[in-house]
Amino acid sequence: MSSFIDYTVNGLVVGNIYALLAVGLALIFGVANLINFAHGSVYTFGAYIGWAAVTFLHTPLPVTMLIVFVACAGLGVVIERVGLRPLQGKARIAPLLATIGLSFVLDQLVQLVFSPDPRAVPSDLPDWRLAVGDGSIGAMDILIAAVGLASAALLYVFLRFTKLGFAVRATAQDREAAQQMGVNVDAVNSAVFAIASALGGLSGLLVGMYYNHIDPAMSFQATLKGVVAQVIGGVGNVPGAIVGSLLLGLTESYGIALLGTTYRNLFAFVLLIAFLLWLPNGLFGGRATIQSEPLVGSFIAPSRPIRLPRWAVAALALAAFALPLATSAPYLLQTLTNAWLAAMLALSLTLIAGTAGQISFGHAGLLAIGGYASALLALDLGAPPILSIPAAGLITAGLGALLVFPAFRLRGHYIAIATLAIGEIVSLVILNWEGLTGGAMGLTGIPPLSFLGQDIFSNRAIYWLCLAIVVSLAALQARFLNSHFGRTLRAVREDEIAARSYGIKLDRYKGLAFAFGGFGAGVSGAIAAHLYSYLNNQTFDSQLSLLALTMVILGGMGNVLGAIVGAVALVGLPELFRVAAEYRILIYGVVLLLLIRFRPQGLLGTV
Amino acid sequence: MAPLLDIRGLTRRFGGVVAVKALDLTVGEGEFVSLIGPNGAGKTTTFNMISGLERLDGGEVRFAGRSIQGLTPEAIAALGLARTFQHGRVFANLSVEDNVLLGAHTRLRAVKPRLPVIGPLAELVLALVRPPAVKKEEQALKAEAREILNLFGERLTPRLDHPAYSLSYANRRRVEIARALALRPRLLLLDEPTAGMNPTETAEMQALIATLKGRGVTILLIEHKLDLVMQLSDRVYVLDDGVKIAEGPPEKVRNDPAVIEAYLGHREIGRAASSVEVVAS
Amino acid sequence: MSIFSLSAFGSLAKRAALAAALSAFGAAAALAQAASGEPVTIGVSGPLTGPNAQYGAQWKKGFDLALEEVNAKGGVKGRPLQYVFEDSQADPRQTVAIAQKFVSDPKIVVEVGDFSSTASMAASSIYQRAGLVQFGFTNSHPNFTKGGDYIWSNSVSQADEQPRLAKYAADLGFKHLAVLYLNTDWGRASEKIFGEAAKGYGMDVVASEGYQPDEKDFRSTLVRVRDAKPDAIVLISYYADGALITRQIRSVGLTTPIVASGSIYSPKFIELAGEAGNGVYTESNFFPGDSRPEVQNFVAKFRAKYNEEPDDFNAVAYDTIILLADVMNQYGIDRTAIRDGLAKIKDVPSVIYGKATFDPQTRRVAGARAVYLVVKNGQFTLWDGKKPSAG
Repeated sequence: MSSFIDYTVNGLVVGNIYALLAVGLALIFGVANLINFAHGSVYTFGAYIGWAAVTFLHTPLPVTMLIVFVACAGLGVVIERVGLRPLQGKARIAPLLATIGLSFVLDQLVQLVFSPDPRAVPSDLPDWRLAVGDGSIGAMDILIAAVGLASAALLYVFLRFTKLGFAVRATAQDREAAQQMGVNVDAVNSAVFAIASALGGLSGLLVGMYYNHIDPAMSFQATLKGVVAQVIGGVGNVPGAIVGSLLLGLTESYGIALLGTTYRNLFAFVLLIAFLLWLPNGLFGGRATIQSEPLVGSFIAPSRPIRLPRWAVAALALAAFALPLATSAPYLLQTLTNAWLAAMLALSLTLIAGTAGQISFGHAGLLAIGGYASALLALDLGAPPILSIPAAGLITAGLGALLVFPAFRLRGHYIAIATLAIGEIVSLVILNWEGLTGGAMGLTGIPPLSFLGQDIFSNRAIYWLCLAIVVSLAALQARFLNSHFGRTLRAVREDEIAARSYGIKLDRYKGLAFAFGGFGAGVSGAIAAHLYSYLNNQTFDSQLSLLALTMVILGGMGNVLGAIVGAVALVGLPELFRVAAEYRILIYGVVLLLLIRFRPQGLLGTV
Repeated sequence: MAPLLDIRGLTRRFGGVVAVKALDLTVGEGEFVSLIGPNGAGKTTTFNMISGLERLDGGEVRFAGRSIQGLTPEAIAALGLARTFQHGRVFANLSVEDNVLLGAHTRLRAVKPRLPVIGPLAELVLALVRPPAVKKEEQALKAEAREILNLFGERLTPRLDHPAYSLSYANRRRVEIARALALRPRLLLLDEPTAGMNPTETAEMQALIATLKGRGVTILLIEHKLDLVMQLSDRVYVLDDGVKIAEGPPEKVRNDPAVIEAYLGHREIGRAASSVEVVAS
Repeated sequence: MSIFSLSAFGSLAKRAALAAALSAFGAAAALAQAASGEPVTIGVSGPLTGPNAQYGAQWKKGFDLALEEVNAKGGVKGRPLQYVFEDSQADPRQTVAIAQKFVSDPKIVVEVGDFSSTASMAASSIYQRAGLVQFGFTNSHPNFTKGGDYIWSNSVSQADEQPRLAKYAADLGFKHLAVLYLNTDWGRASEKIFGEAAKGYGMDVVASEGYQPDEKDFRSTLVRVRDAKPDAIVLISYYADGALITRQIRSVGLTTPIVASGSIYSPKFIELAGEAGNGVYTESNFFPGDSRPEVQNFVAKFRAKYNEEPDDFNAVAYDTIILLADVMNQYGIDRTAIRDGLAKIKDVPSVIYGKATFDPQTRRVAGARAVYLVVKNGQFTLWDGKKPSAG
């Protein structure tokens, strides 16, 4: 019993921390209808500003908090002004991607300035503790809760009783109407980003002091948990974000109590999925949230795609096939082989996210399913790769469609969050299902690619094999899109209501899109498994899902040739920037931002 | 013979507000029926309930001899019901031709064999392999789409490949109607087809609807331009605040005091309810 | 600051070359036999960006220090030694590309890295087939060196390390252990070996909890641990996560003694754990107070160059360069000679091993040195043999 109290208290303490993050995310979502993927980076930035103040200026806590608050509010204004305002009126996906690009840039800047080493952030709070059950809560716990509640209360007062607050609420309700009524929407956005970022930075500082530990890589996890918490609470709802955070903290804590530490995130993501399915508007969201979700149809940028004539496409393909005859440089061939593997993934995602409009943030999960399926078929059943790879493609097609099936009725941001969670769940199941997957130890000794018993090692042969698969998949996909499926899936993407009114069964076509796309992704994962000979739960991580999405957007959503171009560019660019060493991811982030700013429809245009 | 569309006691509430109250309405095969009334009278809600987008709080809808209550919009469409939307819902990033072809989705046969369980997979394989029957079907649908678009004269035919978002407002409304016709509907629901159109465009649309009527298409129309309604309708229903206040042939409805009162009471119309236009919001 | 870290911009290859040249020049003024001529290049594949970037940064410090020393003494066979550091983000997709780059670059005579087994093992078959030694000095995955006869490692084998940790726990008089381990291939393998060894010493493991690398909060885990009633908590952690857990153990009011694997040995551990670090028992493959000349030499030079205390990662990185330079000096500077040399070389002075000799069958080094340590007053100190008082 006393343990139960402890688990409860601990859950609330952690929930408390999530709440600080979720409040800022909720505020931004409420007003800008945007999941701010850079929020975690602001949190990290705040933590480091605080660290610098404490370390070099020896500031007392209130002063440190003030410095962080002001600095991060300023950062928020800059993010809004430079990164997001120019994207107004562009496709909905553009600001979302911009926040991803911004998070790359901010994280790298923090790492370059402060070094990647973790730092200790001492706090000058008294070492005072209050016993609760067998455990205790300390001064820092109280401070975090106080800051969380105070910021929620201040926000409430601000939103209710000030003129700017009123404008914020009006903008959140109906942006266009507010604008027509003379609300300066830009100023509102600016204010919201300032407040949310100030809170985000403050939470970074407090969490850093709480754990006496900050590092530049802590952003992603922070964003992830904040997003989960606010979806549970009701997207865009500030009190909901706090309650959702506490519920998330409790679920994790009880999950640990039940099954152990390694199942913590599994509980978190399963909770998220459960909410998305049964209470998609969260605890506090009104029914209207999903109804008015305006993403469908305007999520991707309208454009006239660049259509290359057939002979040009054929010439490009021929040149790609001929390349190994001209050069045998293994590095070049390997890099391009990597690009072909990425292209299979991008083709899959451009179909699902671009053509069918089901933005997937968990596509690495499909690679993992394919990789493990083929590896296990080869290791346990002795299947030759020539059989195990297509089989893995089919397994991925089936399992992928099945896993996402419950999320088919979600739209826009919600499907993105659901797929993110499903991707994480796949990875956590791989980690925890040791009997099948080897868990963290992974699978070793996966046989190399072979044909008729002959192992294939030559760089050229592997290059040609992967290229041939990409070309076949692309041709197949083009044919698929050229049939009634193309227009049907695009109709589903544009307007689900109109599509249904014309007899289109959404589940059937989304399912087929995931199955078709799942096959390509599965094949890519399977080939990678045989090339690497070793897989574990980290081989296909969630960063890869984001990378795949950027490839698709770079090429142009739904654009088959664009997916391949995007893959080659995004695998190739970091290799080209290799000379820049530590700076290369920074450059990559900046390039991504410029692209979103100046060509949101992608290089070849959306289809 | 039972009417094609037979609505009894249709009711819908939103919170405390009754949007549609105990509405009875019928449309016979080949008939042209209009549904008019001030803004907020419950006309579009009625359409939404018929087409399955909105659930019923009471009453029954029978279409083509069977109850369609609880059916999904896609199932109702498959029974031969097509509709347009008040504010227009064309597929913005799709070409004019694709928009129209999508209207024919329920009519796909060769590529969509009616098979249990493996139906979707069969559809996938057939679409990729494209046996002659599938090719023929697609060609036929394309020819038909062009024919339908020809109904609009030179308005759309030169823009077959243009994405719908690039079209003028009036042209988007035309595409919507073309899409609905491609379904070969047994019943066509038109929700304010002339909203936002100038007089020339309105006249053109009226001529088109008259042509459809002449071809025997069964139509249920929501429209504010009463000239059009009075000239084309066989029967007219008038809704006010969710309640039917009048029904009958146009001449009868035109002179019904309750109708005049409803329109005047709402101050949405200057004189009598005859030739004055109320522009939809 | 040394000239090594001055040129922050520009290509790494250029930096390394410049550094080598400058150091050669600088050293030539002092020592007659300083290295000159065509430099000899080691390819390094490791994380400089991404979540593991901190470890890549630690490597560099160890490498640079060792290079300075090697080149001052005439480099390898009179030629300056240098490295090219390719950032892999510890991502298997990038390590395979880097592997191809290295194997096709005739200037690269041996490869070092990558950081994680996920990243390293994906590239092993490329190195093996090309006949370029892949020297994974942090790869403790038991299957790593099974990749082929060109795959070598001087990473401390967990089969050595964990039983020693178990013995330490037994020597401290503990009976019931709760183990918290990093749920990666390293942590999972270590936890298994540790558990078996603990049984061998008559102790039982009453709780075993794996945690994810990005985990920050352990309070609920610690309730589980507490409820299992251990008389000691064993951490199989790196320094950052080890410090986090240590702090939280103390801040939730648990007074259970903590025994941590040698991988937490770092000044950073003390900094991050703060007060809570006091009383933590650990062992280390090297200890600055160790009187062995290799250790004293390394620690003194490290402090002089970086003005900070070295840690485990600095030490293994340093050892690796010294070892490879030795192999090249004795057996030649080509890829095959290095592979053959690794099998033959005996008793290379090593910070970690004292004297390092490979077992040609397993391609690993056995017999890492270790000392029992305890943290006192914010310092690692040698264990005085006192058992913790009961309770």
